[in-house]
Amino acid sequence: MAGKKESTFINMVLVLFIITLISGVALGGFYELTKEPIAAAKLAKKLNAIKEVVPEFNNNPSDEVYKVGINATDTLEFYPAKMDNKLVGTAVKTFTNKGFAGYIWVMVGFLPDGTINNYSILDHKETPGLGSKMGAWFKQTDPAKEKSSVINKNPGKTKFIVSKDGGDIDAITAATISSRAFMDAIQTGYNEYIKNKTKEDISHE
Amino acid sequence: MNNLQTFTKGLIKENPIFVLLLGMCPTLGVTSSAINGLGMGLATCFVLIMSNMVISMVSNQIPDKVKIPSFIVIIATFVTVISFLMEAYTPALHAQLGVFIPLIVVNCIVLGRAEAFASKNKVIPSILDGAGMGLGFSIALTLLGSVRELLGSGKVFGITLFNDTYGMLIFVLAPGAFIALGYLIAIINRIKKA
Amino acid sequence: MNTKVLVAPSPHIHSGDSIQKNMYGVVFAMLPALLLSFYYFGLGSIIVTLTAVASCYFFEFSIQKYLLKVEPTINDGSALITGILLAFNMPANLPIWIIIIGALVAIGIGKMTYGGLGNNLFNPALVGRVFLLISFPVQMTSWPKALGFNTSYIDAETAATPLAIIKEGLNKGDSLTDLMAQLPSKMDMFLGSTGGSLGEVAGAALVLGLIYMLVKKIISWHIPVAIIATVAIFSGILNMANPEAYAGPAFHILSGGLLLGAIFMATDYVTSPMSNKGKLIYGIGIGLLTVVIRVFGAYPEGVSFAILIMNAFVPLINISSKPKRFGEKRK
Repeated sequence: MAGKKESTFINMVLVLFIITLISGVALGGFYELTKEPIAAAKLAKKLNAIKEVVPEFNNNPSDEVYKVGINATDTLEFYPAKMDNKLVGTAVKTFTNKGFAGYIWVMVGFLPDGTINNYSILDHKETPGLGSKMGAWFKQTDPAKEKSSVINKNPGKTKFIVSKDGGDIDAITAATISSRAFMDAIQTGYNEYIKNKTKEDISHE
Repeated sequence: MNNLQTFTKGLIKENPIFVLLLGMCPTLGVTSSAINGLGMGLATCFVLIMSNMVISMVSNQIPDKVKIPSFIVIIATFVTVISFLMEAYTPALHAQLGVFIPLIVVNCIVLGRAEAFASKNKVIPSILDGAGMGLGFSIALTLLGSVRELLGSGKVFGITLFNDTYGMLIFVLAPGAFIALGYLIAIINRIKKA
Repeated sequence: MNTKVLVAPSPHIHSGDSIQKNMYGVVFAMLPALLLSFYYFGLGSIIVTLTAVASCYFFEFSIQKYLLKVEPTINDGSALITGILLAFNMPANLPIWIIIIGALVAIGIGKMTYGGLGNNLFNPALVGRVFLLISFPVQMTSWPKALGFNTSYIDAETAATPLAIIKEGLNKGDSLTDLMAQLPSKMDMFLGSTGGSLGEVAGAALVLGLIYMLVKKIISWHIPVAIIATVAIFSGILNMANPEAYAGPAFHILSGGLLLGAIFMATDYVTSPMSNKGKLIYGIGIGLLTVVIRVFGAYPEGVSFAILIMNAFVPLINISSKPKRFGEKRK
């Protein structure tokens, strides 16, 4: 067996150089190899989130996306979903930073008249068991809980404020702050949607 | 010590979590559900086997003074590879584990086995050692994840066993990880004594 | 003989004190608050208290007998205190199964894991309470309105605690003066007709218990006084700095579990420091942490967390505040 390499300067530089070279080449290869599957997985995730919140469509909403910046750092993303070139709904990636633990990202689907078709929570850091319930809370189908649901309601007609503060939507039990934040996210999405929808209609005609 | 013992010692006798108490960061951080624990365990297992194998092959060529940097580069390479693979083929799990995947690089078990075992042994025993330690780590994380998921939300591997209104949220959160791990270690010590 | 050299760490003449005697003294001191909670919350309060005490006894007995295989020490009364304190920290409409889990955690995790009474690092009742608060935040923070035996438990009308009203209101951006107007008067807070857990609604009854324990020399004045004074001073400074953002001292002292914590929880023999100097440090720490958590933290109430955190410091405080041995030279 060959003896251990001495810790001479040349040896150390040489060994480290070879190791980092091999490692770099290997990583480059793997990056190329997994680049496409990663992109596909990301796209599929986005498409699934869009599919969940708008009616059936047959275009590719990601191709027609338009972005609206509402302040220096954050932008809303609008994904128009079309069936045979007719707008059936728009998925809006909206957010709020008023959550109990900061940002909440929501994908909410509006029908062309602004009625909410469905929503899904993309990312949040709310307390498990309290604020985290918002994924299911605001789409309850139980008639007794009708006031908690936001589905099929239009933020232009219904007051999207928790009932505790004088609005029309019942907040999550013991998670009023998260509920307020959720309302804020939906309202932001709706306001921008209406603003840009009219703009878009004009530009189309 | 024969090859079989080299492999099996990591499972129970020198289990990295329950006995050696190494790699506590991912253990406490990601085990909020059984599937997370298993995913993390297997990812670490892959890194352990590969890095042990490569290090046992090249350690003679590495001068002592640059041993640790070299090992870290080798380990980091495999961690990045597994991270790419998971992002491509198990994106949901990758998103769940988040920052804990790159953190495998600094997991004490990986560097510990590289330094304490692989750099002094031949290829075959090193692979077996890595596999044993990795599986022991996976078993421990899956067990801890199952206990926490069951007590916290009434599910194991996503299968509902009881209604989650009865779940104790604390077990999904960080303090529950400490409590559950403590009692698991106590139970395992008790079993080993008997 | 020079009698002075007989000063030693442990007492040599039996004063007639025993664990039982002191424990039952504490229980007696808790009676006014307990009875008042029955009066305010009716049947629910009685059920919560009985369940908590019974399950504490049950778990203490069965863990010692069957798991640790030692002679059960349930007669020392400490399980009774843990049970009542646990009940004091619960809303009157808490489901029974949650109470039982709380008792299991308090006795099992909080006490027996460390080796039983005398070895526990943390106050068992508080371990139980914090465990439940984090695990079942909805149930633990929905308090029924105090309506005596008319209290409804079926479709309970819930009442937020004064602390929760302030916290939520300030987060929403309301001004403190407006919020204060929504609150029950200070006198009501002192006498107890506000929303809250069993033991935290009745300040007056708790103070009565404190006076009894001080007279009977069951506890010394250091810890409760240090906590209350620190909270008063610290919240007073904040209040003076910005009266619109920070509530004043009277509000902080009378609201929530501060009196309960300062009088019955922080003074637990096992988990508080031994020397008087240590007790003062410990009390000041609790007071500061309580206000910090209440004012700047995510939870509206911070007493239980503050006490648990300071519990962890008790061994350190004990080492650093050891009284000088007689004859030891000043360094």
